[in-house]
Amino acid sequence: MSVLEAKDLTKIYRRGREEIYALKHVDFNVNPGDFVSIIGPSGSGKTALLNVLGCLDTPTSGSLQLNGTETNGMKETDLVKLRRDNIGFVFQQFYLMPTLTARENIELPLLFSKRDGNKSKIDDVLEMVGLADRGDHLPGQLSGGEMQRVAIGRALINDPKIILADEPTGNLDSATSKMIFELFSELNMKGLTLIIVTHNLDLARQVQKMYTLRDGQIVSCEDLACVQGRDDLVIQQEVVRA
Amino acid sequence: MNFLSLAIKNLLRRRGRTLLTVMGVAIAISVLFSLLSLNSGYQKQLDKEMNSLGANVLAVPKGCPYEAASLIIHGGVIPKFLSESDLQKIRNISGVELATPMLMEQFIKKNSITGKDEPHIALGINIDEYKQLKPWWGVQGRFFTNNETDVKLIGRALADKENITVGFVMPAGPFKGFTTVGVLNRTGDQDDNFHFVPLAEAQRVFNKTGLITTIAIKVKDVNQISEVSAEMEKIPDVQAVTMTQVMGTVMNLAGSAESLLMTVIAIALIISAFGIINTLLMSVNERTKEFGMMKAIGASGLDIGKTVMAETLFITVIGGVIGTVGAIVGSSLIEGYVKGVLPYTPRGSLIALSPELIAFCLVFSVVLGLICGIYPAFKSSRLTPMGAIRGGIE
Repeated sequence: MSVLEAKDLTKIYRRGREEIYALKHVDFNVNPGDFVSIIGPSGSGKTALLNVLGCLDTPTSGSLQLNGTETNGMKETDLVKLRRDNIGFVFQQFYLMPTLTARENIELPLLFSKRDGNKSKIDDVLEMVGLADRGDHLPGQLSGGEMQRVAIGRALINDPKIILADEPTGNLDSATSKMIFELFSELNMKGLTLIIVTHNLDLARQVQKMYTLRDGQIVSCEDLACVQGRDDLVIQQEVVRA
Repeated sequence: MNFLSLAIKNLLRRRGRTLLTVMGVAIAISVLFSLLSLNSGYQKQLDKEMNSLGANVLAVPKGCPYEAASLIIHGGVIPKFLSESDLQKIRNISGVELATPMLMEQFIKKNSITGKDEPHIALGINIDEYKQLKPWWGVQGRFFTNNETDVKLIGRALADKENITVGFVMPAGPFKGFTTVGVLNRTGDQDDNFHFVPLAEAQRVFNKTGLITTIAIKVKDVNQISEVSAEMEKIPDVQAVTMTQVMGTVMNLAGSAESLLMTVIAIALIISAFGIINTLLMSVNERTKEFGMMKAIGASGLDIGKTVMAETLFITVIGGVIGTVGAIVGSSLIEGYVKGVLPYTPRGSLIALSPELIAFCLVFSVVLGLICGIYPAFKSSRLTPMGAIRGGIE
C-alpha cells in the first residue's frame, strides 16, 4: 500500500477575480521507504504540492490518500490528528522557537500529541541528528546546519511515517547542505519515507525518484534508484498530463 | 514542558512589552484593591466611631446641617450654641435616659516636642454623665470631678505624641497651669486625641459661660429614637440629629467621592484590558508563521488558543499579584490621599485588608485575563497552517 497516493490533484489560488493554477491534475504516488525529490523552477507549484501532500493545504479538487485514509473532505480536527500521527515537516526557515533549547524544540510536538516525552527518546533523537552535545543550546547559539538538524529532530520525535521537507537546504551553504542530505539518506536507509522539495539539482539527484514540476504539472519522473547502483543512466520519463 | 512554561518562555521573548502590560494590569488591580479595602475600612471605622460616642441622638443648634453635626462628632467647632435651659427641656422629655452637655472648642498649641503650632480639641464635659455614656473608659491616674478647677484628662494618643504623663502641668496655652490628672486608656477612636476638662472650666476658659455646643442623648429604648427626636425638635433652637442620619449623611458624602473613584477604576480597567488585548493581538500577528509551524507539527487550533490564553492569564495573574501587594504596601499613602480628598473621614486606619478581598482581586485578575484572552486566542486558533506560514492573518 502506498504511503501517499494523489490522484488528479488541482489547486487553484484566487487573487481577486484572477485564478492561479498552482497544481493541475497531478497524480503522485509514494511507497514506504521511498526517497523522493521534487524540483522545478520558482512558481512551478513545488511547495503547493508539498503542502497539499502534507495536509497543510486542501486541494481544490482531486483525491489524496494518506496511509490508506482519504483526506478529501476531512475536518480540520481530523486532519490535525492525521498530520500528527503520520507526517513530519521540515521547513527552509527552520521555524524554531527562539526561547526553547534544542531539546525543548524537539520535545514540542509531544506537547501537542500528548505523548510521553521521556528523556531517553529525546536523547535518541538528538543522537540521531548528531546533536547529542548541543541539546541545551538555544537556537541563537547554533549554526544554520545545527538548527536544521534540530528541525529534523522535531519532525522525527512523533515517529512519523513520512517526512516532508520544503527547501531544507535553501538557507545553508553547500557543505552543510551535503551533510543535511546525508542525514536524510541515513534516515531513509533506516526505512523512513522522505519527500524533499529543492532547487538544488545535485542534491535532488541523490534520491531514488525525482519529479520535475513546471506550471503546476509533473513533466517528468526519473527513477534514479538504479543509477546509484549502476553506471549507466536510466531515466523513465513520463509526461503525466499536458 | 507544558502550556504554561511555553507561554512564559514566549512572553520572555518580549520582556519590555510584557513588563509594561503587567504593570498596566498591576495598576488597575491596585486601584481596585485600594478602593474596595477603603470602602470596607471606611464603613467599619465609621460604625466604630458612631458607636464610640455612646449616644443615640445629638442635640445641636438649629440651622446646623448634618454635615456640621458630623464635624462635631469629629471634633469640629461650629459658631452656634445651645443654652442650659435647652438642656433642662431635653432632660424633661420622657424617653430620655441621659442628656449630657458638651462644649467643644478648638485651640492652637505648640507641640512640646517639635515646637510646631498644632490644632487641638478641648471638650468640656460632665464627667459623671459622660462615664455613663462611655462605660468602657479606663484611666491611668484618675478622673477629675465636676467641681474641680485647673484639671484635665487627655487621650492616650495625644499623651504619647506630646510625651505627657500624669501630673504634667500645662506650661502654656488656654489651659496654662492645668494639671493632667489622668490619661485615658486607648479607645481607638477620636477620644484618643482630645483634652477633657470639667464643663464649667471649659466655659470659663473659652468665655462661653452658660453655653453648650452639643447635648448627647441616650434614650431608654432605641425604638423610641424618632419620637424623642420629634419632641426635641419642638424646642426652639434645637435640632435633633440621630446617629443614623449622621451615618447617612457621611456615607452620602463619601459616596460621591466613591463614585468618582469607581469611575477612575473603571477607566483604568478598560484601558488596561484594551492594552492587554492590543499586546496579545500584536504578538499573535507577529507569530503567525510560528503558529503555522506549530499546526504543522501537530498543534490543534485549541492548542494554539490554549498557548495564547496561558500567556494572557500569566500576564494578568502576575499583574494582579503585583497590584495587590503594591496596594497593601502603599496603603498608607493611599489612605493619606483619601483622607485629604474626602470631606469627612473617621479616625483610625481606613484600610481593611481581608483574605476575601485579596482572593477577590486575584480572581478578578484571572477573569480579566480570560476576557482579554478570548479574542486573540480565538483569532490565532482559527489560522490555517498554510495561511499562517504564509503570514496571511486577516
